[in-house]
Amino acid sequence: MARIDLRSVHIEFPIYNVKSRSIKNKFMKMATGGRIVKDANQHIVVNALNDISISFSHGDQIGLIGHNGSGKSTLLRLLSRIYEPTRGHVNIEGTVSAMLDIVQGVEAEFTGYENIYIRGILAGLTHKQIKAQVDEICELTGLGDYLAMPVRTYSSGMKVRLAFAISTCINPEILLIDEVFGAGDADFMTRARNKMISLLQQSSIVVMASHSDELIREFCNKALLLEGGQVKYFGSVNEALDRYHTTR
Amino acid sequence: MLNESTLSVTDITETAICFSNKSQTRLAWEDLKEGLVRWRVWYMLAYQDIKLRYRRSFLGPFWLTISMAITVYSMGYLYSYLFHMNIHDYFPYLVAGMLGWSLVSTTITDLIEAFSYPEAMLKQIKLPYSIYVHRVVTRNIIIFFHNILIMAPILIIFHQVAKLNACFLLLFPGLLIIYFNALCYGLVFSMIGARYRDISQIIKSLVQVAFFITPIMWTPEILPPSKRFIAYLNPFYSFIELVRQPLIGHTPTTLNIIVVAVITIIGIVASYFVFPARRSRIIYWL
Repeated sequence: MARIDLRSVHIEFPIYNVKSRSIKNKFMKMATGGRIVKDANQHIVVNALNDISISFSHGDQIGLIGHNGSGKSTLLRLLSRIYEPTRGHVNIEGTVSAMLDIVQGVEAEFTGYENIYIRGILAGLTHKQIKAQVDEICELTGLGDYLAMPVRTYSSGMKVRLAFAISTCINPEILLIDEVFGAGDADFMTRARNKMISLLQQSSIVVMASHSDELIREFCNKALLLEGGQVKYFGSVNEALDRYHTTR
Repeated sequence: MLNESTLSVTDITETAICFSNKSQTRLAWEDLKEGLVRWRVWYMLAYQDIKLRYRRSFLGPFWLTISMAITVYSMGYLYSYLFHMNIHDYFPYLVAGMLGWSLVSTTITDLIEAFSYPEAMLKQIKLPYSIYVHRVVTRNIIIFFHNILIMAPILIIFHQVAKLNACFLLLFPGLLIIYFNALCYGLVFSMIGARYRDISQIIKSLVQVAFFITPIMWTPEILPPSKRFIAYLNPFYSFIELVRQPLIGHTPTTLNIIVVAVITIIGIVASYFVFPARRSRIIYWL
């Protein structure tokens, strides 16, 4: 059974190339983003996440909401174990798969097929396991013969199709999603939606960051409102969205 | 580093009960272990690096070999006269030495950027940090095995001096030692390179200097006997000998082995102190 527990977790980014205090002051006036402070070594530090204590358990489908720079992506990266907390404790039980910036890892010089293999290996699959899934992935992309062409020849919509199909081929216990529904035409969107729904149903815990109220309402049963790296509200979706819109 | 006064004593004991509080040393070991288990990832990444560099060229990675061959063959011919050496002795010595040098030097310079170069990838997926070090070293070993073809004509032309014999097999333990050292020093160098971006430039220029002060183009015997220790104690020299001597049918000297052993121990100690202590910070430096 998958579980996520965070106890007073802080994430503080040291900013090494910002030296002057005036820049720091300028940053502090900005409404968005984490709090900016200084550490003992006089480095400027951004408090991206500030004293977060939450628990997610089996069946939770959490919508992450908040303004730009409120810490949504940082929290997802913390949950995917990319960032380790600078203070506090994290306990994550279960296999994690993160769909953060899905188009990012796609290598333009390689063909669609090669990219499928690369992603599969990165996800920890063997060649055999990938081979077993490759037809299904190709089917989902709907790219046909284009899969044998280098990705640099693809349109941006096609790239999203490929990236989406590749990233959804793993069935994790904990699924982390950051604004996946981007480009893609209507036909692909329906297929992607179906795939997404089946993926969400199979996962034990889903954490999804999105700026779209409809997506949050459709896919999530709880919502977490972040502001300036702190938990503003955690509970029902409607209440969270209401609070989010009143703070705007 | 950061002010921890806000975390009171009671907090710590409370969290220790419900959270498996793994020590940084344990986490570092797991990183190394998982890095080995997931060899498919770094082997694929290493191969992909080479393929990507020569994607649309006909000869592919052999361009590296060809450019290397042109350099060492022309140097070998000219410099044997420059240093008044017998071409039969000098030519195989230089070519084999250059193969060792290019392996060692490009591994070092690549290792500094092992974390900072694939920055976007580190922020995208969680992989053990050691995977990125393995990737760099494996890539250079693969390139080395392409370059080794350069030795083939030499073993034929200069067959009286450079022999392909049982000593050649010593190349493999030699490469293994180089791999191990590259891993130890790689963890340290790549972390320093990620944290202090200036250091990579400093190390790159030091490596360039090392080329001239290390017996690669010249033999230590050229030096007056009282100054030879400078060459013999140079760690680059000993590591290059691990590759060079097997390639021309000899064994490295005992002194080479001792120097290599000392350097290896220093590397183990350095990585033992640096990697567990600072591993969790790497991602924040990028």
